[in-house]
Amino acid sequence: MISVKNLYHSYNKDGKYQVKDVSFEVANGEVFGFLGPSGAGKSTALNILTGLLPLQQGEVVVGGYDLKKVSNERFNKIGMSFEQSNVYSKLTAKENLDFYRKLFDVPTLDSHALLKLVGLEGKEHVKAGEFSKGMKHRLTFARSMINNPEMWFLDEPTTGLDPSIAADIKDIIKEKNKEGVTVFLTTHNMFIADELCDRVAFIVDGEIKLIDSPKNLKLQYGDKLVEVEYMEKGEVIKTTLSTVLPEDKRELQKIIEHHDIQTMHTKEATLEEIFIKVTGRGLV
Amino acid sequence: MKLFSSFIKELKLASRGFYFYVELFMAVIILAVFLLLVPDNFNNQRTEYIYFDMPRQTSELFLQEILQEDTDGKAAPVKVEVDKQEKDAMLYTTSDQKIYVLTSREDVIYMADKEKKIAAVVKLDSDNAINYEYYLQGYESDKFKNLLKILHVESNETIEAAMNNQDVKPLADNTLVLSDKENMMPSVLVFNGALMGLFIIAAYIFLDRKEGVIMAYAVTPSPVWQYLMSKVGVILVTTILSSFLVIIPVMGTQPDYLLLLLLLVTTAFFSSSLGLLIASFYKNVTQAFGAIYGFMLLMILPNIAYFIPSWNPDYLKLIPTYPMLEGFKSVLLGNNDWLYVLTISGGFLLVGAILFSISNRRYKKTLLG
Ligand SMILES: Nc1ncnc2c1ncn2[C@@H]1O[C@H](COP(=O)(O)OP(=O)(O)OP(=O)(O)O)[C@@H](O)[C@H]1O
Ligand SMILES: [Mg+2]
Repeated sequence: MISVKNLYHSYNKDGKYQVKDVSFEVANGEVFGFLGPSGAGKSTALNILTGLLPLQQGEVVVGGYDLKKVSNERFNKIGMSFEQSNVYSKLTAKENLDFYRKLFDVPTLDSHALLKLVGLEGKEHVKAGEFSKGMKHRLTFARSMINNPEMWFLDEPTTGLDPSIAADIKDIIKEKNKEGVTVFLTTHNMFIADELCDRVAFIVDGEIKLIDSPKNLKLQYGDKLVEVEYMEKGEVIKTTLSTVLPEDKRELQKIIEHHDIQTMHTKEATLEEIFIKVTGRGLV
Repeated sequence: MKLFSSFIKELKLASRGFYFYVELFMAVIILAVFLLLVPDNFNNQRTEYIYFDMPRQTSELFLQEILQEDTDGKAAPVKVEVDKQEKDAMLYTTSDQKIYVLTSREDVIYMADKEKKIAAVVKLDSDNAINYEYYLQGYESDKFKNLLKILHVESNETIEAAMNNQDVKPLADNTLVLSDKENMMPSVLVFNGALMGLFIIAAYIFLDRKEGVIMAYAVTPSPVWQYLMSKVGVILVTTILSSFLVIIPVMGTQPDYLLLLLLLVTTAFFSSSLGLLIASFYKNVTQAFGAIYGFMLLMILPNIAYFIPSWNPDYLKLIPTYPMLEGFKSVLLGNNDWLYVLTISGGFLLVGAILFSISNRRYKKTLLG
């Protein structure tokens, strides 16, 4: 269980906040996602939760540990995968994991089994420095679950990976969650948020704009979009308009009156479109 | 246990890296240079200051003799600075000596005492026999001393008589001396150990920063001090290895090896803790370079003073490498001065521990910085 109340963070302590009044709760066994564009403050918030950044202002409790009281033992219950892979390039994949295992006080997973899980079987004795970016990322990801964490923090778990590997990683996360692991992840990929998260928080400029389940969001916004293709000055223009928002309705009327409609159909809103509607900002 | 596996991992990393070998390689080069190229003692032209405490006619006879060996056959009138005053003197230059003849006994003693020069007063005693009073500095080699003993005596018999009559009274209490070659060893130890340790541990930290592995460590239950200590451990190992690699072949059985080990461990602990602290203020090597360079220059100052006995201002004693040099010198002499070396070691251990705990706090706070 994670509980965050009125969290603020300013890197330069100059009155400009990169995380502003963020509050949310994550229940045990839940997958909770921060969805937002680059620079929104997702990693900043996550790093405060894992103790990598100091807690400046606000109340944070992670797995029963109040972050105001420092205790190293809480890391036995926590796993963290980093946005940028960070492994010893001079150690082999297996050495990296073997060493990391020894840093915990709790039973850990077998290095070989972990490497197999993330598709690095046969690469045990290759130095991480000789790995591709995706392979390093998988090693970093594998390392994060070595201590069977109850709370699993994943900073952009699939960003920059090729689709099939991303799909594997998604499956692993789902599997672990089924076993009862609580997951907190950040992403700017709406598919990840949609497929993995029980609930998502839309975050822009350090502020949470909305928290809800993807399902609810789609119910609320679903089937209320029309995709129109029409001709204007000899060119085909494609646009998506809401049937709820007044200015979109007026726009739709205008198009029907003044232009030659090619195609027009209602569609289910994607999380990204909903994000844009809610925050006025895109995800990139 | 965690500390030990961290240490083993650091050793593995170091052995696959570059810096580990830099230090060992340096040690091998230094060893080769010292064994093959550096003579036991350097045959530099010696500079001496002499006063003739005798009637003028008698001293003239001496000077005549010296003149015969003078390379250009004549003495040069020069000014010599004695106690901030310029004094007249005559300079005789022979093939292996520069002899300044001064005009007062006090000036000669001043040169010996304050300027740490080799100086002598030549006088006639009550039986009109010639009598030399030499003022040595304690760092001259035995060979040189023996040379002095026979320098002004002519026949073999008189050499022997003179040898037996020699009365050498040291000005300093430390009567053991190192040869010129051995005399450079304390500096080698300070360079290759302390100064390299400072630089290399910082380099290790910056490598880890670059790879981001400190952050991965920070989300484990293991305390940061163990991470830092395992790095210090690697520095200790390389320092001990590279120091012994040089010292054993050059010095043989003379040093107190147990004390040497103790002093190496404590000084390397001190300097690697200092390196950790300096590195904690910077993000990468380039940024830290100025600071590290500055510290290294400062730490080298006492090394320079070590070879210029007359330049020894008090403030140098505040620089950690000063007691380091003195400690190593004492250990290498093998004069069994346990108390002295233990005191110095204790000092480095204490200051090292303070620096280490400050570093620990800083690394805990600035993992992402
Ligand atoms: N070390 C730092 N010092 C100062 N400002 C920082 C630092 N790290 C991040 N920021 C700023 O804080 C804001 C939030 O950054 P953060 O890394 O949390 O974004 P993010 O949502 O994780 O973005 P991304 O999707 O690109 O990972 C950005 O404006 C960034 O410039
Ligand atoms: Mg981020």
